[in-house]
Amino acid sequence: MGTFVQLVVDGLSTGSVYAAIALAIVLVNQATGLINFAQGGMAVLAAYVAWALTNRGVPLVLAILLSIVFSFVLGAVVERYLMRRFERGDPDTAVVVTIGLLTLITGVAGWLWTYNNQSFPSLFPLDTVSFLGVSVSIRSIGTTLVIVVVMALLQALFVGTKLGLALRAVAINPQSASYSGLPVGRLLMVGWGLAAALGAVAGALVAPQLTLTPGMLDNALVYALAAVILGGLTSPVGVVVAAWIIGVLENLAAVYVPFIGYDLKVAVPFILIFVVLIVRPQGLFGRKTVVRV
Amino acid sequence: MNTHLRSRRALGLAVASALALALPACAEGGGGGSRSSGEASPGITDDSVTLGITTPLSGTTAGPGTCTVAGVKAYFGKKNADGGIEFGDGKTRKVEIEALDDTYDPQKAKANYDQLKNDVFAMTAGLGTPTNRAWREAAIADEVPQALIMTGDPLFSDTDESPMQLGFVPIYQNEGEAFGKLLAGSSQDHKVAILSQNDDFGEGYVEGFKSAVEDADNIEIVKELTYEATDTSVDAQITELSSTGADVIFNAMSVTPLTIAALQKAQQLNWKPSWFLPSNTSSPGAILQPGGATAYPGVYSVSFAKAPASPAFAQDEDVVEYLAALKQYGDYPEPPAFPHCQWSWMVGATLEQVFMKMEEPTRASFMEALRSVKDFEAPLMLPDTSVNTTEDGQPAVSTVVVQKYNGKGYDTVESFQ
Amino acid sequence: MASASAVQATPSPSAASPAPSFTERPWVRRAGALLLLVVLVVAPLVLPQFANETLARVGVFAVAVLGLNVVMGYTGQVSLGQIFFLGLGAYVTAYGVQHDWNVVVVFLLACVVPAVAGLVVALAAARLGGLAIAMVTIALPIVGVPLAKRLGDVTGGSQGISARMGGAPEGSGLYNDQWTLYVVLVIGGIVFLLTRSLVRGKFGRAFAIVKGNEHVASSMGISPYRYKVLAFTIASLIGGVSGFLYMYVIQYTSPETMSFGHSIQLLAAMVIGGAGSIVGSILGGAYYVLVPQLTNEIDASLTALLQGAILLAVLFVLPGGLASLLRAVTRGRRRSGAGNGAAAPSTTPPSTAGSAPAAGEPETERHGHA
Repeated sequence: MGTFVQLVVDGLSTGSVYAAIALAIVLVNQATGLINFAQGGMAVLAAYVAWALTNRGVPLVLAILLSIVFSFVLGAVVERYLMRRFERGDPDTAVVVTIGLLTLITGVAGWLWTYNNQSFPSLFPLDTVSFLGVSVSIRSIGTTLVIVVVMALLQALFVGTKLGLALRAVAINPQSASYSGLPVGRLLMVGWGLAAALGAVAGALVAPQLTLTPGMLDNALVYALAAVILGGLTSPVGVVVAAWIIGVLENLAAVYVPFIGYDLKVAVPFILIFVVLIVRPQGLFGRKTVVRV
Repeated sequence: MNTHLRSRRALGLAVASALALALPACAEGGGGGSRSSGEASPGITDDSVTLGITTPLSGTTAGPGTCTVAGVKAYFGKKNADGGIEFGDGKTRKVEIEALDDTYDPQKAKANYDQLKNDVFAMTAGLGTPTNRAWREAAIADEVPQALIMTGDPLFSDTDESPMQLGFVPIYQNEGEAFGKLLAGSSQDHKVAILSQNDDFGEGYVEGFKSAVEDADNIEIVKELTYEATDTSVDAQITELSSTGADVIFNAMSVTPLTIAALQKAQQLNWKPSWFLPSNTSSPGAILQPGGATAYPGVYSVSFAKAPASPAFAQDEDVVEYLAALKQYGDYPEPPAFPHCQWSWMVGATLEQVFMKMEEPTRASFMEALRSVKDFEAPLMLPDTSVNTTEDGQPAVSTVVVQKYNGKGYDTVESFQ
Repeated sequence: MASASAVQATPSPSAASPAPSFTERPWVRRAGALLLLVVLVVAPLVLPQFANETLARVGVFAVAVLGLNVVMGYTGQVSLGQIFFLGLGAYVTAYGVQHDWNVVVVFLLACVVPAVAGLVVALAAARLGGLAIAMVTIALPIVGVPLAKRLGDVTGGSQGISARMGGAPEGSGLYNDQWTLYVVLVIGGIVFLLTRSLVRGKFGRAFAIVKGNEHVASSMGISPYRYKVLAFTIASLIGGVSGFLYMYVIQYTSPETMSFGHSIQLLAAMVIGGAGSIVGSILGGAYYVLVPQLTNEIDASLTALLQGAILLAVLFVLPGGLASLLRAVTRGRRRSGAGNGAAAPSTTPPSTAGSAPAAGEPETERHGHA
C-alpha cells in the first residue's frame, strides 16, 4: 500500500513536468491555431539564458524573470519575422517550420553551451516532506504549485479577459477578427510571446531535475503533446489533469501490469488517447469545435 | 567489395555535375590497395596519415560523442605540434583527424563510413553500439580498420568474427563482473536490487555481475528492473526497488540526469543502500555531487582512467598535460564531464604505439601492429590497468579497478566495506 | 493565400526559357522520358562510388517520403509514424535474409507485413480526426522502439541485425555499388510509376476530395473513412518497400532506425520536397540524405544548427517546397498570374482544387490538425 501511494505521488510529480510544457503548447495553439514543436526548444533556450545569468552572479529569481522577458521578446520576434509567413498557408508547412526552429535552437544551444549536462539551480530545496509513509520533495510540491497557478491564470485569461477572447478570435478566424477591428498581427505576436514566456517558466521548473542540455525537453515533448490531445486543446485545466493522469497511470501500469512493464509504459498515454477520443473526440475537457462545410 | 582501381570518367553528364555540388570530395582514391603489399593504403602519405571518426556530435549522445573526438584530436594535435610521430617504417608523419557527425543514427554512420573509407587510412574512436555495428561488415569486406572504438559490445573484440575491428573500452560484462567479484568477497550477506538500461549496455553489465555472484552464497538478487534511455524519470523504479529493502543497488545506467535523479530519489525515500555505478556515469563533479552521493554508505564504480576532476590527480603530470592539450587542440575548453574524453586521449596514445610498430604504410600492417600492443601503460591510466591488444576475445583495455567515492574523488578498493 | 506570393518572389518567370507549350508536346514528353531513362541507366556506370552509394540512400528515403506523401500530401491525414513502417519492412527483410528465404518472398513479405500492420492501425485511427490521427501515428515509432527491443529474439534487440543480400552477380561486370543502385532504381522506379498513376487516377481524385473537405466527399458518395484507410495502407506498404531497400543498401537495422526523431525528419523532408508531389518525394529523399552530408562537410560540430537554418531558409523562400521551384521554372511564364501552382503543392489539378479553399476560412480551422 505504501508503495502504491508513493507511486501515485511520483506519477503526479512526473506529470507536472509534462504539464509545464503542455500548457505552453496549449497557449500557442489557442492563440495561433498551430502546434509548435519548438516550444520545448524555446523553453530550453530560456533556461540557458537564466543559467548563463546566474553564472555571472545574477540571483536566481531575477535571472529567471529576465529569461521570461527574453522569451516573450523571442516568441514575439519569431512570430513576426518567421511564422507570419506561414500562418495562413498550409498548416503542415507551418508545423515543419517549427521543427526546423527546434533543430536550429538545439544547434545554437549546443554551439554556445556545448552538449554537456549543466546543473541548473533549483528554486525550491530538495528537502523531503513525509506524511503517512509517503515522501515527496519540496521541489516537486513547488513545481506542482507553480503549474497549478499558471494553469489558473491561463484559464482566467482565456475565459475572463478581453485579451484572451481576442487571442482566440484571431486563432479561430483571423480574417473576421481583423474585420472586427482587432490588431491581428500584434495579437499573434502577443500569443507567441506569452507562450514562450510560459515555456521559460516551464524550463526553469524542470531544468534542475533533467539537467540542462540542448535536448532536455525532447523526450518530454511527446508526453506533453499526448497530454494536450488527451486533455483537449482548449482547456488548460484539462491538459494539466491529463498530464497527471498520464504520469500516474504510466507508473501504475509499469509496476502492476506485467505485460506492459517499464519498457512499454510509454504506450500507456497513447492507449488512453485512443480510448478517450473514441468516446469524446474533443478530449477529456475540450469543447467541441464547430466544423463548417 | 572491389579493391582494384577504377577508372570512371565522371564527365559530361548533367547529373554528375549537378551532384558534384552536393557530394563533396567523392574522389575514388585507390580503393584499398591492401592486397598488394608495400604499396601505400589510402589516407597515408610519406608525411601524413588521416584517421576517420563517425560519432554523435549532435543529439542526445552528443556530450560523450564530442569527447570521443576531442581527446584523440588533442593528443595528435599536440604530437603534430611537436613534429609528428615516427612510424615503424622510419618516416615521420603528422596525424590528421576527420570527424563526422552521425547523431547516433546507424544509417548516417554507414553513410559517413562510405564517405570516409577511401580517404582515410583507418577508422577509430567512434561511440555507440548500433552506429559501429552498422558498418562493421562493410569494413570487413573493404578491409578498412575499425580500430579502438568506444563500445563495450563484445562482438568487436572477437577476432574471428571481426578481423578488422578492435574495441577500446572494457566490454560491459568486464565492468559488471569486477564489481560482482568485490561484492561476492564481502564477509556479510547482501540483498541486491538491480536497475539497468534496457539495451546491450545494461544487459552486459547485469550479465557480468550475475556471473560473478552466481556461486556466492552471501548474495541474493531481490529485484531486477529496467528503464529506457529516453525516459524522463526513474522515480517509479527507485520507489519499487526501495520497497525491497536491498542494501546494495547495482545501477547499470548510462544517462547522466537519470543517474543524478536516482541518487536523489532514493535519499528522499530514506533508502540508503550502497551503489554501484558504471564507469561512464560516475563522474564525481557532474553526477555524484549533485546527486548527494555522500549520503550513502558507499558509492562504487570501476575505472581505468584517472578522473581529472579528482583532487588526488590535480597535480598529476598526465592530467595537467591532458587538460592543457584538450583546451588547445581539442576544441574543448571546459574540464570534461564525461570519461570518454580521457578514453579518447588514451586511444590516441595507443594508436601512437601502433604507428611506431607499423612497418609498412598499409592497412594490413596496421592491423598486425594493432594486435601487438602489450602491457602499455597509456597516459592517464590508473595503476594496475594497461592496454593489451594481444588477448583474443578482449578489447584493448580489459582490466578495471573497483573504486569507492570518498566525497571528492575515488580511491581504489580491494574489498567491499 | 499567403504562399501565392512565393511565386512572385521566386525569379522563375525570367528563368523560364522554353516556349509555353513546348513541354506539353507529346514527342517532347516522350523524348524527355527516354532521356531520363538513358541518364538513369548510364549514371551508375560513370559516377564515382560514393556518389552511387549516396544516390542509393536517396532512393531509399525518396520511397519512404513517397509513402508519406500518399497519406499526407495527397489525402491530408497527418502521419508521424511513417518511419515505423520502414523499420518494420527492414526487420522483416533482415529476418528473411538471415533465414535464407528466397529474395522475392522476402520482398513480398516486406511489402505485405507493413501493409497489414498499417491497415490494422488505419482501421482504428481513421475513425479519429486530425490531431488524433497524428497522436496515434506518433505512438508507432515511440512504442516501436521498445517493442523491437523486447522482441530481441527476432530483431536482435538493441544490438540490431545485419543482413547482406549479396552484391553484384558474377559475370555482370558491375561493382557492388553500381548493382545496388540499379536495384534501388528499378524497385524505386516501379513504386514511383505505380504511385504516380494511382494519384492521377480515380483514387487520387478521391484522395484529393477527402483532403479538401470530408463533408463534401461524403455528399459525393466518397467514404472518407474508406479512402483514409486505403491511403494509410498504401503508405505503409510503400514504407515497407523502403524498408526492404534500406536493408539492401544499409545492410543493418536496429531500434534506433525507427526513432521518433527520424519520423519527424521524414515529415520535414516531405514538406521541403513538396507535399503532394511525385518529384517532391524524390527531392525530399535527396534532402533527407544530402543535407546531413553537406552540413557534416561544412562543420561536423554544427550540424544541428546548420540543418535547422537550411530548413528554415528553404521553406522561407519556397513555402511550397523544392518542387514548387521546379514547377515555377517549367510553367513560369505561361502561368505567372495564377499563384495556385505554388500555393497548392500538387501536380494534379483535382487536388489543387481540393487543397486550396476558396476563402481560407475552413482552412484556418483545420490548422489544429497539423
